Amino acid sequence: MSAQRVTGQLTVAQLIRFGPLGSARCYSEAHLERLVTGVTLVSDLDEARQCEPKTAMVVHPVAAHGVWALEAALRCAWERNAACVVAPDSVMVRASTTQLAERLRLPLLTVADPARIALDMAVAIADTEAARARLISRCAVLFGERFSLRGIVGVINAEVPGVIAALVTKDGHLLAGRAAADTFPPDGPNAPGEDAATGGASAFAEDAAEEHRLAVAVPSADGRAWATLVARVSAPGPSWTETVETILRLARAPLASAGAGSRLSLAHQGSRDRLLMETLLGEGPTVQGRRLLPSPRAGASHGAESAVGAEELARDAGWPIDGRLVAVHLRPLQPDRDLEAASPAITAAWREDLAEAPLVPLANGWATWYTGEDAHPRAVERNVRRRLASSRIPLPLCAGVGTEGEGMAGLRRSLREAELAAGSAGGQGDQRVECYGELGPRAVLAALPVAERAVAARTLLAALLADPKAEVLLRTLTALLDCAGSTGQTATRLGVHRNTVLGRVERIRAKGIDLDSPDQRLALHVACHALLATGEARDSGRPARPR
Amino acid sequence: MNGAPAPSPATGVVHRITADDLPAVVAGHALLSSGGGGIDGLTLSVAELLRRHGPVELVPLDALPPETHCAAVGLAGGFAPLLELPPGGDESVLAVRALEERTGNRLGAVVALNSAGPNALFPIAAAASLGLPLVDCDGMGRILPLINMTTYALGGLSATPLAAVSQTGETAVLDCSTARSDRLLRGIVEASGGAMLCALYPTTVGRLRGVAIEGATSRVMRVGELLTGENRHAGLLAGLARTVGARVLASGQVTALDLPTPSAGARHFPSVPTSIVVSDPSGDGPVVRLEAQNEILLALIDGAVTAAVPDVLCLLDRQRLQPVSLENVALADHVDVLVVPAAPMWHTPQGLAMAGPRAFGFPVRHPAEEVSR
Repeated sequence: MSAQRVTGQLTVAQLIRFGPLGSARCYSEAHLERLVTGVTLVSDLDEARQCEPKTAMVVHPVAAHGVWALEAALRCAWERNAACVVAPDSVMVRASTTQLAERLRLPLLTVADPARIALDMAVAIADTEAARARLISRCAVLFGERFSLRGIVGVINAEVPGVIAALVTKDGHLLAGRAAADTFPPDGPNAPGEDAATGGASAFAEDAAEEHRLAVAVPSADGRAWATLVARVSAPGPSWTETVETILRLARAPLASAGAGSRLSLAHQGSRDRLLMETLLGEGPTVQGRRLLPSPRAGASHGAESAVGAEELARDAGWPIDGRLVAVHLRPLQPDRDLEAASPAITAAWREDLAEAPLVPLANGWATWYTGEDAHPRAVERNVRRRLASSRIPLPLCAGVGTEGEGMAGLRRSLREAELAAGSAGGQGDQRVECYGELGPRAVLAALPVAERAVAARTLLAALLADPKAEVLLRTLTALLDCAGSTGQTATRLGVHRNTVLGRVERIRAKGIDLDSPDQRLALHVACHALLATGEARDSGRPARPR
Repeated sequence: MNGAPAPSPATGVVHRITADDLPAVVAGHALLSSGGGGIDGLTLSVAELLRRHGPVELVPLDALPPETHCAAVGLAGGFAPLLELPPGGDESVLAVRALEERTGNRLGAVVALNSAGPNALFPIAAAASLGLPLVDCDGMGRILPLINMTTYALGGLSATPLAAVSQTGETAVLDCSTARSDRLLRGIVEASGGAMLCALYPTTVGRLRGVAIEGATSRVMRVGELLTGENRHAGLLAGLARTVGARVLASGQVTALDLPTPSAGARHFPSVPTSIVVSDPSGDGPVVRLEAQNEILLALIDGAVTAAVPDVLCLLDRQRLQPVSLENVALADHVDVLVVPAAPMWHTPQGLAMAGPRAFGFPVRHPAEEVSR
């Protein structure tokens, strides 16, 4: 900071926060943003009448004859537009005096030694630079003592007067601090995070009518862009803005470290939960020779014993695995997403209170369950739907809900059902929730590995998918098969004329698809569902992705 | 002893005070003393004296020959001892006789030291006992704590020689400067039980002209008649405005009663400071703070001095339509703060120096001084 720069004026709040008024007792906290340009020490009420505007009126004990004299001084301060009144604490300030101070919109503070405070304030006002350096050093010390994101951002919110700060992700999710700090769109003129890779702070400021926004990109531990520390500065001035910016920059390293720590801890917790869950489900039955849920690390021979031991471990870990429960399976809409990387964010976003069952990461999604009297599939479905709609979930998910079960055996069954239902929900769009109990025989189809079916189906229907109108043709074919070959019913279901259906059928036949062969019809039907479920038809216009 | 010129009471008698007038006097003196109430024992004693000696003639100052010797009569000290031991009735005779003996002048009339508070009754008792007329004037127009805080002293009259008689009949005659009189008398008063009836400011009717507050006793009676007869709030306020120029400074509820530490300037007064806050309990509206030492001395509205001693400040209960004494004021009372302007001679620079807010340790200007600045 150069000595040449224009030094701004201090506010009453700044004098309280990092100036000589730090030890003062504040009775009227409104209007602390008043600027203080000087100090007037008054030793009688006539001097109070001569108080300079915008100065802090310090009432010497000899002038403080009692509460009435303090009230008279307040009145003089108001008439002279003083910034605040500082009185000796020997005067007992009562409710009526506080009421008067609030009525006159004047900050009223009491201190033990007004004469000394007047000197200190005069020094602080004359040398605001020193006062701001003290604030910066105080924040730096406090940053070092906090280890959570909330703690570090909280230091800024608590210590820096007139500043509201928040830490937000690239997508605008609030990680810590107060949401009011970031009421501006995240992709501003200089989008946060762009400079993070180079390690440089992209501090930029936007001039609002009266407020100022500062943003500093916070990199993750590996240097990639991770989040932005934004701050709203009321009563900005060039030097004050610079001070706040320095403090924001100071907070970057502690924030990056705390963020990495919490993500590491979530990932670690996720791995442990997953291992425990896999052990719990270890001796569960398999479908078509394949375990529905991933195999335990322990050998199959002692799976039963390890499961009993795992039940104990789960209870120790606080998992509610007794009584009535309903399982939920979450899976990403695009199965090729990096689940390992997304897991901490999903786990953190899902958790609403600590008493409930954990969200356990699995190979193809996440599993959890609901317990207690409210554990009813319909209620659970509503709850899951609401949570999926939450803005904190960072990637599109769908979910399946199992039927009710009792105890560990019930949980295993319900989890399998939930996984099947989630598979069925998978093809139907973002935030889709399916209940196994309402799935019926469709569950059988859902149980088939969709991705593998889709690969086979894509080969089988390659000619059809190459058509520019592949999705329309595929939907028509599926509907025709659903309607047992009736073109009339198909037309009604699709909401088109029967001739349109006939035209499309001709086009389908032209692709070499035989609709009349009974031994091909089932396979064709399954292939159509698989393609619709994976959304393949929508991708048909683009080159096939390598598998 | 010089023979006193015979007064001519037949001319210009304002009123003949009988025992029936006492309730009005008691009610009126309460308002002019920041609400201090009457003392039943004293009232009964004076009523008995009036019945025994006949009515007292209240005469204006002009009705008496200027050479008529007169002296002020009043109680010095606290009124609390009177609650324990009502006056016997002969104290005023003893005090006046002792003063006459010291000055060698027979009194032709009695004057009130101050016609406010219980002191409004003693001159009546003295006039009745002595068979002398009571001059319708006083030296304060209110209660002030020191015997030398009078318009008499302001006008250059000497408070001494003074004769003081205790409730047990002990008599002391003081001969000293007016400035020292209160200091010396207070020592004697303390030693003799806390209250002494005094005859002081020996002078002549002629010298009283221009220095006495005329019409003081009749004013008390008019106020008393209003307070005892008027039962409508608006009517009472209008009546008080008409008779004594009273105006309502503020209205509200008593929201705080503080006992602050005495300010440096006030420590030599025989009183304990009290601070009363009258405001709107909901938090809106002005904060009215009343600083009191036996009487209300200062009124600040939102920190600005709006009324001060020597003007009389008192609280009027809005429901009972009676003055509220400082001993009886309670939180949540609905009150009007009334200000009754003091006599014009109190508003002169000399008057304010003697009995203005600065004399009581409040380093502020009286609103009258602010206007003239």
